Amino acid sequence: MKQELRTLSFNLVSGIGHLELNQLPANKMNAQFFSDLKELVDSLKGLKGLEAIVISSTGRHFSSGADLEELLELSMNSGMEHTDKKGLKDRNIFETNYNSFLFFEGAEIPVIAAIRGVCIGSAFEFALSCHFRFCGEDAVFGLPETTFNLMPGLGGIRKTAALCGKAKAIELVLKGNTFGASEALLNHLVDRIVPRRNVVDFSFTFARKIMKNYKKQKAPLYLQQISSDDLIFN
Amino acid sequence: MIDRKIIDDIGILTVENPPQNYLLEPEFIPVSELKGWIEGNQLKALIITGSGRHFSGGAKLESVFAMTESAETMETRMNKGKALLGYLQDLNIPVAAAIKGICFGGGLEIALSCHIRICSENALFAFPEANQGLMPGLGGTFQLGIRNSLKDSLKMILGGDMINAEEAILLKIVDTLVKDEEPLTYALNFLRKITEGRPLKIINYVMQSLRNARELTSEESMREETRMFCDLARIESVRRKNESRESE
Repeated sequence: MKQELRTLSFNLVSGIGHLELNQLPANKMNAQFFSDLKELVDSLKGLKGLEAIVISSTGRHFSSGADLEELLELSMNSGMEHTDKKGLKDRNIFETNYNSFLFFEGAEIPVIAAIRGVCIGSAFEFALSCHFRFCGEDAVFGLPETTFNLMPGLGGIRKTAALCGKAKAIELVLKGNTFGASEALLNHLVDRIVPRRNVVDFSFTFARKIMKNYKKQKAPLYLQQISSDDLIFN
Repeated sequence: MIDRKIIDDIGILTVENPPQNYLLEPEFIPVSELKGWIEGNQLKALIITGSGRHFSGGAKLESVFAMTESAETMETRMNKGKALLGYLQDLNIPVAAAIKGICFGGGLEIALSCHIRICSENALFAFPEANQGLMPGLGGTFQLGIRNSLKDSLKMILGGDMINAEEAILLKIVDTLVKDEEPLTYALNFLRKITEGRPLKIINYVMQSLRNARELTSEESMREETRMFCDLARIESVRRKNESRESE
């Protein structure tokens, strides 16, 4: 199965579905992206032969996150408290977005984010919805929303608290600063740093290794199965 | 007995009963009073610390046994203490404990109810209750249990062992170990850095999201997050529109 949408592509080969963000230069997550993601998620539900998902991006960066201007525009007439027709329609857009992320989080098959370059805001929240995160040494992370008078709205607070504890999550979210791969690893926000050019290959190797009889609850244990052979790249 | 001070919208509660800063009451400050102070001053963060060399030695043994003269009042008083710690834990602004010296029993239970724990190298932690025929009475058993294996929790609670700052980091009792600086100074600078320039509403929403993460399902917590996000986005849109109108 192969799908080419405007902002992303999906290719299923030998059980592993490769989702690539594909909207250069920085794979911004705009309304078109979220609409494409929903379309993809709908087609993945119940798809036969899908045993793992690897998410990466074309270009230098994973993604720079949401389109702020567009988001603010959308939110003007949205929100859960609005009951007028327009409001309900827009509210559904936000609901759709988080439901797409929840699909990956709740999937029974391994979902792996292969991160190169910038991965901030909603993009980081997308990566946090995955079960595993591998990144290149050049990766940059952050949840800068509060510096724009907003907050992470797609699970970022919940996921960082689960991974690095409440105290660190409060700091990351309220400070809103960006940080590199080693700090992300130190705070358990990524699982492994691999050379940038091997991140996607390594993610596939890992996916192949663990996808049979995968149990999501045991996710941390699978990381211990990584052997030195998996880290030899050609 | 509890000194209150405000620096840059950050409230500081200091247990003032040196040298050990024993707590006279489980509800060491009345919840309604604390709530009024925090809300009335629009505080953006809170620090709890001890006066002098120690954080707090918890309750004085004699005062605990004195309370038993009326079993009914004792339970009421303990429950009031628990309600206070519950209030701190659910507070929608960050609460940090700045710890040095001894942090025992009820003192440790106060610290464990905070969101962030910062301590100095000389800090010591213990639940000495079992050594005196008692047990932790303000949620300490639970707080330690959710962070650690049963083995480690029992060692501390039944064994009554005292641990140092580095061991406390390993047992997730402490988040940050501060060297060459007063924990209070560090806590103040840290909270200043993360709350400076942040509207109170954003701080409240972020803290609410953390609480939701603990109490709600993923779906419910996501829905709430989106609701709060949309609310902030609407406020920000209006602010930007007004700003561009003014500059015209």
